[in-house]
Amino acid sequence: MKLSIRKSIATVGVAALVATGVLVSVPAANAAEPTCTTSKTGLETCTGTLANGAGYQFKMPFNFKGTMFFWEHGIRWTYPGVSPVPTGVEQIAPSSVNGNFDISKEMLLAGYGLATYDGTVKGLRGWNSAYRIDMIKELIDIASAKYPKIEKKVLYGASQAGSTITPFVEKYPTYADSVGIMAGVTPSIADAVQSACDIFYILSVFADPTIKGCAAFGLKGVPGHMASLGELQKVVALLGAWSKNLGAPGLEYPAALKGSGIPQRSALLLTGLLSGIPTKSAHMDGISTNAVIAEHSINATVAVLENIGSALGSGVLAGQSLSEITGAGFYDNTKTNWASLLDEGDAGRYNLGLSGDEAITAMLGVLSMAPRVTGDAAAIAKFKALDKSSFTSQHPTILLHNEADRLVFPGQTVRYVDRKREVYEKALSSWEKTRTGKKPIWNTLALWTLTPETYTKFTAAGLPDLTGPVAASGVDHESFTKKQLKAWVDMLAVAAKSGKVPTDAYVEYIATKVPYLNGDLDFRPADLKYNFGY
Amino acid sequence: MNAVKNRASLSRSPRKFAAVISAALVGALALSAMPAQGASTPGVSDTEIVLGMQLPQTGPASPGYNKVDDAMRAYFDYVNSKGGVYGRKITLVAYDDEYKAGKTVTTASKLINKDKVFAMVGSVGTQTHISVIKDINRRGIPDLFVNSGYSGFYTDPKKYPTTFGALGTYVAEAKILGKYIKENLATKNVGILYQTDDFGRNTVEGLTTAGVTFTPKKTAATFIAGTQAGGLDAQMQQLKDNNVEVVVVGAVASAFAAAVGSANKIGYKPQYIVISVGSDATTFQTILFTKGIPFASSGALLAGTISASHAPSPGEADDEFVKAFKKINDEFNKGPATGKTWDNNVLQGMNIGYVTTAALMGAGKDLTRPGIINYIKNNPAKLSSAAFAPLGYSATTHEAFTGFWIGKYDAATVLKPIDGTRKVWTTDSAKGAVTELKYTRPAIAADALPKVG
Repeated sequence: MKLSIRKSIATVGVAALVATGVLVSVPAANAAEPTCTTSKTGLETCTGTLANGAGYQFKMPFNFKGTMFFWEHGIRWTYPGVSPVPTGVEQIAPSSVNGNFDISKEMLLAGYGLATYDGTVKGLRGWNSAYRIDMIKELIDIASAKYPKIEKKVLYGASQAGSTITPFVEKYPTYADSVGIMAGVTPSIADAVQSACDIFYILSVFADPTIKGCAAFGLKGVPGHMASLGELQKVVALLGAWSKNLGAPGLEYPAALKGSGIPQRSALLLTGLLSGIPTKSAHMDGISTNAVIAEHSINATVAVLENIGSALGSGVLAGQSLSEITGAGFYDNTKTNWASLLDEGDAGRYNLGLSGDEAITAMLGVLSMAPRVTGDAAAIAKFKALDKSSFTSQHPTILLHNEADRLVFPGQTVRYVDRKREVYEKALSSWEKTRTGKKPIWNTLALWTLTPETYTKFTAAGLPDLTGPVAASGVDHESFTKKQLKAWVDMLAVAAKSGKVPTDAYVEYIATKVPYLNGDLDFRPADLKYNFGY
Repeated sequence: MNAVKNRASLSRSPRKFAAVISAALVGALALSAMPAQGASTPGVSDTEIVLGMQLPQTGPASPGYNKVDDAMRAYFDYVNSKGGVYGRKITLVAYDDEYKAGKTVTTASKLINKDKVFAMVGSVGTQTHISVIKDINRRGIPDLFVNSGYSGFYTDPKKYPTTFGALGTYVAEAKILGKYIKENLATKNVGILYQTDDFGRNTVEGLTTAGVTFTPKKTAATFIAGTQAGGLDAQMQQLKDNNVEVVVVGAVASAFAAAVGSANKIGYKPQYIVISVGSDATTFQTILFTKGIPFASSGALLAGTISASHAPSPGEADDEFVKAFKKINDEFNKGPATGKTWDNNVLQGMNIGYVTTAALMGAGKDLTRPGIINYIKNNPAKLSSAAFAPLGYSATTHEAFTGFWIGKYDAATVLKPIDGTRKVWTTDSAKGAVTELKYTRPAIAADALPKVG
């Protein structure tokens, strides 16, 4: 069987082979003055370097209307000598991975100014959120000095940027008038990485006992990098086998389940459900069936198969990078209650894919009895304390997330809204007791982009086609349509002027104009599996 | 999970915001027709109440169940012909989820966001409904009279406060059937065939509570729900090999039909005792018909099967509810000819329509979502129906009918009281005893409309 998730596995594999996360303290120097040129159309482009040598760029259109957008890119995996190191700015506006475009042209036409910087300067890469806060401040200071005509500042970014932007606006509240987070992580990243590490662990129990996963992370530099890649390669080998046989053979591990008749795909699906991997993917809608994909839960299993490579790739890269901050042993599952991680609804909905209640009980039973990973107390404490935020910012904040983001799971945005809500309600309750000072306002909005209802295609042989065009919306990481991205930045611009996020009615209206933008403001995808607090 | 909304409502007019943003928007986002802002209860206007429903209208799981929505709509149309409820006509929007949970999720979203339903009502299926029940409850949407007997939906109202059942639970029904087995079939070798999910687990739980137990891999045969289409040959062979004389079936009707088909092939003819939703005659016969067994023959295969029911059999032509509902069905059911054929599914649909109407009347003219939930929870005695048992709703449980009578299918596929006299038994979904129920079903009014005053 030639089920091609090879492309995504290959992508992950290549990314992993060239990646690592290293934090290097970059000495400060004097920032250089920007060098500017103006095109025939009146677009001024300026480049320069921040004090630490990082490149930055401004684009100022002739029709500038007073709002400057400051873009914060996501994580970058570069390692001198192993992979290309960015030599300057790569991205100045929101872009779409699947569409291979950005919306800088559209934003400039609308009269928005654009600014960004390169967060990967001189070895400053991987999980470098703490360092980038001062870089953003410097960028905004330079832009504000050069362009006194800036009236409103929008600070926005993608993915890892969520863990940078959120504490930044709490530390420097006057540096932004509105905030945008696209497919972003919510501080702290530990909530999500714990699940990524769980994936390794569960696969080690059910599929390959040689997998050590996050327990193998912690060495610095190339040795650590290679150790993490070794772990990833074991999983890539597994996925390669499953891509050919759809996980049909019976479980070989652990001994207690060998010969039980539980297919490997049930363990794969359980792994996905316990760790929160989306059950829709680029090609699998979780609904469509045929002779081979005989039931919707089998479709969802293939979706997990298609998503898990990316999820684990990011887990490896982020995990190794984090381990260089925390030290070895940040992952610990001695207190994990595996059964509690399986949502009751998922157990019912995907019952056939999981091979029924008896198989679910057997697999959870094995997990509960398997030897656990005991971490290092100091590393665990550092891990859970990463990227802390107070969520007290009252800036209008608009989040944008795909409902089936395979890398930064949608539960991240759910978590952001929940934390903001909790802080807001406490503040409101406190204000109501005294009625003094400024009344807290709710100023956060999550926009969701959905998949089409069905989009799975089958090959002539009846297999799911994982090589064709991906779903029109709602899947993958940092992948949106132009209309979706433009709607988001327009809302951010107006929110910067008004000081408030758009009304429900307005969002519902825009959703009727932008395909697959969800107008349901109460939409709530699955939660993250862990919550270590904030 | 706390009921956390994405965002709070803002008091600012959307028109004001629109005026600000219009300068920034280009192309497709240009504003032309901003919607009016309303704060009324979704799905309720001065003239209409919109209700939503999800069920398999097509696909392998649809036979029989696909008649419930047309029957409900027929009853609502009848109510509308009499002026509706406080002058509001009832509109039922039903979507086909094909018994695929992914579609249940998307159709629920459509009902909530596009159709703006006031409440969900009569949705069919355990595996499908479990995919949306948490979200429906989180949003505070009434989730009324669900066609599933899974006790997990109802026995903890703190978990699912807006959900109310339309059937007795599988646990209670199994306990009652278990008592019958203990008292009447104690000398027989009793086995079970069940699906390894919530339904099957509920069945085993009820039987075990009643003292009827089984030996795994010998007198207990299992299958994974969804795999029965290919037959249940191995399971029935296992039960035959272990000399099982009485087979309790805790499974959906398509599985029961598959089991009988498989048993028939090997000349195995045990006494079947089937949880009621699994013994629906229409579903049973339709599925066997697709496998080449004509209706006359499948009727014979069903004959003698023991099952239970909370309501009269559709074949009880003299029952006043049957008579009234059948008349309404003949006049108002606009479903396809086969769909409106009078049977247990149509009766169930009519009965849900009747109870829903009563709840809407009881909740009063100022209809709100919390209002109808509170009314149902606090006034189950005012919600009479065709059932021979009262509704069990209270602050501590949202289980529906608490009583069942036991019957046997005759050659005409009519379930008739097993000893000629209908005795209704009652129990709970926990460890309570099974006792005879003394309940007098309130009569149906001459106009066949519920009276809640």
